[in-house]
Amino acid sequence: MTEAVPAAARTGQRRAAVNGLRRLPEFLTIWVPLLLSAGHLIAFALWTLWISFTPSTLVPVSGWVGLRNYTAMMATRNWQIAFDNLLVFGSGFVLLSVLTGLALAILLDQRIRGENVLRSIFLYPLAVSFVVTGTVWSWLLNPGIGIQKLVNDLGWTSFRFDWLIDRDMAIWTIVIAAVWQSSGFAMALFLAGLRSVDGDLIKAAQIDGAGPVRMYRRVILPTLWPITVTVVVIQLQFAITTFDLVRALTGGGPGTATQLPALVVYDFMFQRGLLARGAAAAVLMLLILLAVLLPYAAWQYLQRRQSAHA
Amino acid sequence: MHRISRRAMLAGTAGLIAAPRLARAQAVKPRLTVISQWSAGSDGAAITALGKKFEEKGGTWQHSPVPGFTTEMMNKLRAQIMAGDPPACSQLKGPEIAAWSKIAATVNLDALVAAAGYEKVVAPDLAKLHKPGGKWISLPLQIYSTNMLFLSKRAMDKAKADKIPVTWDDFNALAEKMKAGGVAYPIANGGTRPDDGQKFEAALAGLSPAAYRTAIMNLDDKALKGPEVKAAFAQVRRIADWMDPNTAAQHYSTNLQRFVAGDMGMMIQGGWAQGVLLNAGFKLDDFIIAPGPSDNSKPVFLLNADAFIFWQRKEPDLQAGQTLMAQLVMDPAIQTMYSQITGSIPVRTDVDLSAAGWSDGQRRTAAALKEAVAANQAVLSLAHNMAQENGMTAAMIDVLTEYVKNKAITPEQGVSRLSNAVEGAR
Amino acid sequence: MRETTFAPSRMLIYLLVLMIAAAYLVPLLVVVLNSLRTAEEIAQTSMIGWPKQWAWGNYLVAWGDFCIAQTCAGIRPYMLNSALVTIPATIVSTLLGAVAGYAVSLWRFRGDRWIYGVVTLGIFLPQQMRLLPWTIVLRDLGLTNTLTGLVMIHTIQGLSFTTLFCRNYYSAIPQELIRAARIDGAGFYRIFWRIVLPLSPPILIVTVIWQFTHIWNEFLYGVTFTTGQQQPVTAALIALSASIADIPQHGVQSAAVMIAALPTLLVYLFGGRYFVRGLTAGAVK
Repeated sequence: MTEAVPAAARTGQRRAAVNGLRRLPEFLTIWVPLLLSAGHLIAFALWTLWISFTPSTLVPVSGWVGLRNYTAMMATRNWQIAFDNLLVFGSGFVLLSVLTGLALAILLDQRIRGENVLRSIFLYPLAVSFVVTGTVWSWLLNPGIGIQKLVNDLGWTSFRFDWLIDRDMAIWTIVIAAVWQSSGFAMALFLAGLRSVDGDLIKAAQIDGAGPVRMYRRVILPTLWPITVTVVVIQLQFAITTFDLVRALTGGGPGTATQLPALVVYDFMFQRGLLARGAAAAVLMLLILLAVLLPYAAWQYLQRRQSAHA
Repeated sequence: MHRISRRAMLAGTAGLIAAPRLARAQAVKPRLTVISQWSAGSDGAAITALGKKFEEKGGTWQHSPVPGFTTEMMNKLRAQIMAGDPPACSQLKGPEIAAWSKIAATVNLDALVAAAGYEKVVAPDLAKLHKPGGKWISLPLQIYSTNMLFLSKRAMDKAKADKIPVTWDDFNALAEKMKAGGVAYPIANGGTRPDDGQKFEAALAGLSPAAYRTAIMNLDDKALKGPEVKAAFAQVRRIADWMDPNTAAQHYSTNLQRFVAGDMGMMIQGGWAQGVLLNAGFKLDDFIIAPGPSDNSKPVFLLNADAFIFWQRKEPDLQAGQTLMAQLVMDPAIQTMYSQITGSIPVRTDVDLSAAGWSDGQRRTAAALKEAVAANQAVLSLAHNMAQENGMTAAMIDVLTEYVKNKAITPEQGVSRLSNAVEGAR
Repeated sequence: MRETTFAPSRMLIYLLVLMIAAAYLVPLLVVVLNSLRTAEEIAQTSMIGWPKQWAWGNYLVAWGDFCIAQTCAGIRPYMLNSALVTIPATIVSTLLGAVAGYAVSLWRFRGDRWIYGVVTLGIFLPQQMRLLPWTIVLRDLGLTNTLTGLVMIHTIQGLSFTTLFCRNYYSAIPQELIRAARIDGAGFYRIFWRIVLPLSPPILIVTVIWQFTHIWNEFLYGVTFTTGQQQPVTAALIALSASIADIPQHGVQSAAVMIAALPTLLVYLFGGRYFVRGLTAGAVK
């Protein structure tokens, strides 16, 4: 620990030793959980990395096969489709979820009546498990029994909403279900941010005669920037690790059209009994993640350097 | 000290020699730890009934069903094996038996199988799966056919047809007749992965069981690129075109209502579909069951069989449990009970299905199996992981399911994709 | 608070909000309706529809009757298991996360930024990569097939999120407060107890809600690392629906889903306002 209580020269070794001993419980309380957490994460990631270089199939075995698992995985249509889908789904979902959350937050911030009820309505999807979400939305988006049928029955017979069975559009059904599930969290964060905008800034803008739209654009939205970053990070995490939802909604189909990396990893590791191939896919997933996070971390680092020098 | 009579001494000695065996038999109450995926429905009921029989014979039955499908069960099995604590007995089937037997020690069942004379009454192709190293390590319990033909009575009436199709040409002609008669979608199959696999294997095996064997079971490259496979792809394309695009990716059970009502005509499904139809409230008069189309004059049977594998354990009570379980599984009375609950047919070819308790569908299936075995046309199902290990199966079904869903893929492209997938997964 | 004074546009806002709210409620409505229909009716009509007869019995069957293999006790025992895992794991991971977040944000020490980075990157590590390693760890610790093992897994994994949330919240606490307390002679624990913890309820509620929901709804580890009677409720739900030789019992299944979702729904219902409040004032920056 740095910044000790002002330890004057006269205290000497004994005092430092006693201090150190007294510090032990703190030391343990801080470091044990942190080390357990960080330790297990690093260990598991390294273990997966190791497995990806072995010939493991049903159970982990030792051996070295070089990059064979990687080249084999990248050559499969499953991975190629999953990779493309991740880009589409990731960006589409994060964007839509942020915008929906922001829109809902702005709407709720208008001091409307029944705000508590409405907030609960937008938040409750977070409480539902992904499997249930995927299953229910698979019914709703099914053209034969869901929304399309409802609208057709109401009279508009040429209405089509069959994305679920359309190989090109099916990925967007996952976006819809995922946005339904998690936009509540974005809304909550944005609402908190909106409520914590500095009142003086608002008053100043009002004095300047700014209308509501100008107010949002010039004053409120800019202060939401840090919260937006957090929302994006949490939604990104959801997009990358989402598994149960996709399995329940489309099962990766129609055909293999909605494969995503998390599904491919599970499929190869456990369903096909090809642990090493699945592990290689998992490592590739982590590399994609790093490719997104490293620029962000670098940007944050530069920001900090800038503000330190300012 | 009184004199011990000679007789008493002999009796005593005899008692001493007999005592250990008696003590062993008395001291060890058979116990069995079982893992399976059969937690609900008729599968759950059947294995529960088996458990009751086990307990009637004096054993302790400890069954942990793993919720989900086969993958979850295999995950659990893998976790137990890695933890050094495999169950005494677990569900497993197909070539996976050979694969898993390499990662953990199994029990040699040769003695028990010989004692029960089981090998004589099991179809040879099936038996091979359960003797990967030449020794029996697992026992098949029930058989399903995956290529039964289900016909909707009302749809047949609409088509003014009364002949059950026998060949693929008959099948195609009937489908056209149904369409002409107002049946919107002649095919009521679903679009899940096993379903798409079933369409293909029924087509190929029906066209040429020999080609099916070489191409799908033996993965011979020439056969995979051969004309029969291409014709099978073409047949699958016809089937796909006759399906309702709206439910094209669903489980077939969503089509049952329309199938029975005559808006959909035919289904190529496993024998289990009978149970599903009855449980949904439909009646036996609503549909007809026939063997799947076969282009030579003898029936083709695509086999799907569940089995139990026995993992080596040191505990004497578990070993006794394994012996008891093996004996039960091979027992014709138990197989009868099991199959009557699930709607499958027994593995044993010597069970008489003319007794009460069996449905006509089951009788027809059993007869088909017998004929098919006699004509060497009983082959292993690809869609249900009987022909190949899971990795290879999944790679092939990737191609098949994409082919079914994407009308732009031609049969030629299907053929080349399939052989590429097989190469990539070897 | 801003005053908005545009009247006709307020009508528009209300309309918009109500339409969106209706859309959000539809899935819940579908499940509730299905939970009151019989399986035959669903099979014979469609997954979405109004009940023809009201099958209230579905709830009774779901709660106490339906069979998973040989055990016919409904969903009740599994709810208890889920509670036995979720409640301890939530509490412990929240407390540990609070302390860790406090340490990282208010007590600078060597390597704090690095270890914080690794811990929070953990939220991105997918489940599949952890399944087999945990199998090995549980085996070595002798915790295979125990609820304790499951609690341990969820606690350690939860630290990633809880530390993230708490650290961001605590970093808004002014340093002067801490410095003053230290000059007064207060140590690590005293400051936590006297100053930080009393300020924490909003973020603790957020963390508890988040953890409770995620652990309660988790399926993969629950199925793989427990067995038979010890399984959590998510496993029981899947057991209801996975059957090859039957139509899925959609009515009872929907009722079971509603019962299983009740705890988390209630948590969000009652905790919702604190959720937002907890995220205010620089909670998650």
